[in-house]
Amino acid sequence: MKVRFIVLWAAVLIPLAWGVMKTLQNALKLFN
Amino acid sequence: MSSGFLDRESTIAPPGYNRFLFPPAALAVHLCIGQAYAFSTFNLPLTKLLGITHSAPSDWKLTDIGWTFSIAIVFLGLSAAVFGSWVERVGPRKSMFTSALCFGGGFIVSAVGIHFHAIWLLYLGYGVLGGCGLGIGYISPVSTLIKWFPDRPGMATGMAIMGFGGGALIAAPLSILLMDHFKSPTSTGVLESFVTMGVIYFMFMMIGVLVARVPAADWRPAGWIESAHRKPLVTNANVAVDMAWRTPQFWLLWGVLCMNVTAGIGVLGQASPMIQEIFSGKVTPSAAAGFVGLLSLFNMGGRIVWASASDYLGRRYTYMVFFLLGIALYSLVPWFGHLGSRALFVAAFAVILSMYGGGFATIPAYLRDVFGTMNVGAIHGRLLTAWSVAGVLGPVLVNYIRQFQIDHGVPKAQAYSITMYIMCALLLVGFLCNFAMRPVNEKYHYRGREPASTPAK
Repeated sequence: MKVRFIVLWAAVLIPLAWGVMKTLQNALKLFN
Repeated sequence: MSSGFLDRESTIAPPGYNRFLFPPAALAVHLCIGQAYAFSTFNLPLTKLLGITHSAPSDWKLTDIGWTFSIAIVFLGLSAAVFGSWVERVGPRKSMFTSALCFGGGFIVSAVGIHFHAIWLLYLGYGVLGGCGLGIGYISPVSTLIKWFPDRPGMATGMAIMGFGGGALIAAPLSILLMDHFKSPTSTGVLESFVTMGVIYFMFMMIGVLVARVPAADWRPAGWIESAHRKPLVTNANVAVDMAWRTPQFWLLWGVLCMNVTAGIGVLGQASPMIQEIFSGKVTPSAAAGFVGLLSLFNMGGRIVWASASDYLGRRYTYMVFFLLGIALYSLVPWFGHLGSRALFVAAFAVILSMYGGGFATIPAYLRDVFGTMNVGAIHGRLLTAWSVAGVLGPVLVNYIRQFQIDHGVPKAQAYSITMYIMCALLLVGFLCNFAMRPVNEKYHYRGREPASTPAK
C-alpha cells in the first residue's frame, strides 16, 4: 500500500513540478 | 448479479483503504483536462497548416480557430449539467473512463480534421467531444472526494481542482516540445502532436480509472466525530438534484460563481496585451508571457490554498473575502498603472487570479454545506453552466469595452480603467448574492434513504 501511495503521488506530482518549473522560468523574464 | 470492472459496486473500497490514494486519481484526470487552458498554444500553428511557414490564403483564420475553445467550454458546462446525475449514479471509475475516451478521442478526431483540413471536424473533435470529456472529467471525482474527506471537503476538492489549473502549466510546454519534435518542411507538427497528446492523455487518465475507489456508505475517517455544533449554512440534510435547482440558494450560488469567474476569465485571456499596453515600451512580449505564466501559477495555487482555508473560515466568509478584496484590488489597478508600478500591478493581479482559482475550488464544498453530500456532484454539474456563461461574458466585456474606448480616442494605456470598474460592479453583484445566502428551507429536504453500498470483495 505504501509503495502504491508513493508511486501514485509521484506519477502526478512529477509532471506537475515539471510544468511549474517551466512556467517559473518563463515568469522570471518579467523581472529581468 | 456480478458487476463489471467499471461499475460503482466494483469500486467500493475495502476496510483499511488509504483515502489519500484517491486524490492522485482525481489529479490524474484534472491534470489532463486542464490542457484546455493551454489550447491557444496551437492557435498560430493551426493557421499555417497549408502554408507551413506562413498562412496561405486557404488556411484557417485565427477567428475561426478561436471558436474551438469556446465550443469546448460551452460543452464543458452543458455536459456537466446533463451528465451530472449519471456521473453520480455510476461512480467515478466509469465516468473517468468515459471522460478519457471523449477527451483522448477528441484529439484523434481533431487530428483527422487537420489531415483533411476540415474545420468542422476540429469543432466536433476538440470542441464537442473534448468538451464533453472536460465536463464529465471535471465533476467525476468531486462528490467522491467530498465523501472521502468529510472532515476537510475544501482541501480535498481544492487538491483535484488545482490539477485543472496545473494542467495548463504542463500542456503549454508539452505542446511546444511536441510541435518542435514533429515539425518538418511539409508539416507544422500539429497533427502528430494532437495524436500523441490524445494517446498520452488517455493513458494518463487511465491511472485515475484504475485507482478510483468510493467509500462504503457507513465509512467515516478514523477518530473523526461529526461536530454537534454546525457552522451556519452547513446542513446534515440532503437536497436532491432535481429539487436543488428550484431553490433560491442554487441560483444565488450560480450568481456567485458566474460573477467570480467573469471577473477573472476576461483578464486571464487579455493579460499579455493588457500589461504591454498599460506599461507601453516597458514590458516586452516575452516578459508579458512571463506575466501570463505567473498568473497561471497563482490561479493554480489559489485553488488549493483558498479551498483549504475555507475549511476553517467557512465557505461564506471565504467568498466575502474574494469579493471585497477583489473590489479593492480591481479599483486600485488603474492607479497602479498610472503610478507605473509594475510590481504592485503584478501583485494585484496575482492575488485576483488566486481568488479566481479559489472560487472554482471552493464551490463544491459550499454546495455540500448547503445541499448535503447525496447529489453534490450532480448539483455541481448543473452549477457549472455559470462557467459557460462567464466564459463568454468575461472576454466579451474586456475586449469590447477596450475596443470601444480606443475607438473613442482613449489612449491604449488607459483603455482598461473602465473595464476594471465594471469588474468591481460584477464582484459587488457576486458579494450581494453571497450575502443573501441562507440555509435551504426544510420543504426541499430529501426524505428518503441514501442508496447503501457495501465493500467490494
